[in-house]
Amino acid sequence: MADEFAKGFGIFVTAMLGWMILGGWYNTPDFETQLSAPNPEQAELYGQIAIALKDALFWFGVLGALTFWVVIPAIEEARTALGE
Amino acid sequence: MTEDTDTTDAEEPTEDVAADGGPAGEASGTPSELRSDGGEETATDGAGPGIVPPDDETPAWSERKQRSQGLSRLTYEYFERARREDQDLRQESSYVERDVLGFPAWPHEMIRNLAITSFFVGMIILLSATLPPHIGPPANSGSTPAIILPDWYLYWSFGLLKLAPLNPELSLLGGQKLMADRTFGVLANLVVVGAVAIVPFLNKGAARRPVEQPFWAGVGFGGVVFAFTISAYSVNNLIPMEPTLQFDLAFLLPVLAACIAYSVLKSMREGYMFDLNRRYYRLRPPK
Repeated sequence: MADEFAKGFGIFVTAMLGWMILGGWYNTPDFETQLSAPNPEQAELYGQIAIALKDALFWFGVLGALTFWVVIPAIEEARTALGE
Repeated sequence: MTEDTDTTDAEEPTEDVAADGGPAGEASGTPSELRSDGGEETATDGAGPGIVPPDDETPAWSERKQRSQGLSRLTYEYFERARREDQDLRQESSYVERDVLGFPAWPHEMIRNLAITSFFVGMIILLSATLPPHIGPPANSGSTPAIILPDWYLYWSFGLLKLAPLNPELSLLGGQKLMADRTFGVLANLVVVGAVAIVPFLNKGAARRPVEQPFWAGVGFGGVVFAFTISAYSVNNLIPMEPTLQFDLAFLLPVLAACIAYSVLKSMREGYMFDLNRRYYRLRPPK
């Protein structure tokens, strides 16, 4: 169980770190709105890649953490409950 | 091992067999000279005679060897090698046997410390390279800002300066206040700092975890909540709430939180085997 927690935590922290950095590049126009501004309208190729990567990292962090903290333990519990 | 340590150690285990019941049962089958010879025989966990084994639930060395795959195997091999090095050091030196099990600072502790240091230095470099801080326009020293506040970690002290409703109007003085509100606020700072300074003398910190002393855990939790509520009260002009209500909450919420923490910890203590844990951590008194 501790291993599952560490895997989910590592995924969550690493992915959200990348999401925060990319959000700081593309979604932080000034000091007042940080990480939450809409995506820039015209972005170059690298910008489009980075914005897509940002969304992917966000959902990877959320779903990865949910997978290891909720889904897999639930499956394990269900398996032991069915096994009894 | 020198000759004196052998002779001093030779008498001690016989007392232990008489004193506590646990090891006596295990040692009954072994020859007496093997057990009385504390100098040569090193315990399998690397401890000399100085450490009391926790209880019967301690895994035997053969059970530990069964951890033969993955991370547990790596951990096992690491500690086995560390224990072996420690044992070799003890045997080749004439230094008196230590009472506390430990590993040498180099490399065991230093490798871990270097790993932690590298992680944090790397994180600082990464963040400072990718997210350089926002540098605003220079401050205008000619105009006074609308909101004047200390740094956030001093909000609690700033809130204690706003305790004017607590400053009593004494009828003895004809409705006058004994001191100005600002003097009262400064004295309130002294009272709070004094209370924090007195706590270590009232409680020596013998508990290893909050359930062992629910009252003091409740006091500490109430203090933490009071730090937050009084900090929030210090910025009450920024919080959309009635200031009098917030003032009352600043003092009622910590008491409520302390009561809840106390009752929760007290009820947790019912089923908590802290006797077992206390025995686990207890070391034999020094010779």
